Amino acid sequence: MIRTFARQAALLLALALLPAIVSGVVQLRWNAAEPLAPGEVKAATVREWGAKVQWVDARPRDKFAAGHIEGALLLNEDEWTKLVPAFLDAWDPDHPIVVYCDGGNCEASHRVAQRIREELKIGNVHVLKGGLPTWSAK
Amino acid sequence: MVGKVILLAMRVALAWTFLHAGVLKIWDFAHARPATPDFVVAIQQYRILPSPDLAVLLAVYLPWVEIFAALGLLLRPVRLGAATIISALMTIFIIALSSAWMRGLRIECGCFGRDGAPTDYLALLLRDLCLLAAVVILLVRDWHARQPKDRMMFGDSGRFTLP
Repeated sequence: MIRTFARQAALLLALALLPAIVSGVVQLRWNAAEPLAPGEVKAATVREWGAKVQWVDARPRDKFAAGHIEGALLLNEDEWTKLVPAFLDAWDPDHPIVVYCDGGNCEASHRVAQRIREELKIGNVHVLKGGLPTWSAK
Repeated sequence: MVGKVILLAMRVALAWTFLHAGVLKIWDFAHARPATPDFVVAIQQYRILPSPDLAVLLAVYLPWVEIFAALGLLLRPVRLGAATIISALMTIFIIALSSAWMRGLRIECGCFGRDGAPTDYLALLLRDLCLLAAVVILLVRDWHARQPKDRMMFGDSGRFTLP
């Protein structure tokens, strides 16, 4: 009887493998081919800038506390008013700002970057394409 | 008769749940784009896998396992295997959620694609326990459904005879 369970389960798992491979390849190519959106920058480009970057973390506070890019400032939409003064105190006009969030299809970094440009009138602002996972995967 | 209807409803509901979950992990209909990157992030948030590559492999394969297991629940020849897979998946999900809860992680479940909402651990665990109970009931029912054929062939003496 256990063989019946195992045989049927193995068949289903094997059937799932082919579409998974096709889907994975298609999605990887989709992501690789996706052009940079306005204001986005790749991790490789930011590494070329070296240490002269001001990182901004657009995620919730508890995710920031759990781990963030070294030197990053927390500036998220939930605590915008409270966090802006500290951000402005630390901001150096000579350093480009790079905003990141969780990656995947996370939009928080784009929204925070937009607010920095529009509300704080700071122009040299970029969004890290792929978010924190792409930087952590170096 | 009522029992059969209830079991059929459970089977269809479970199949729909896992089909729905699998499809939403592959494609983000709200934004018309692949959902796999979001699912990779969701898996990594649990901080269980030792490597980001494993998270990518799991994010690519798991949705299709859910889809085929869901369809398998509705097909008599592979019902047992499908129910076995779903039982195993639910057990793993319950363990992963419990682990994240105990470590105080504030994460998104990733169960039905990305919804942006932090996980309500208690509600999710209760839901998953109910799903696990339902699939175990189906598993036991399907297993018992195979028994009469064996009794017909072996008879009361336990020796093999032609029907």
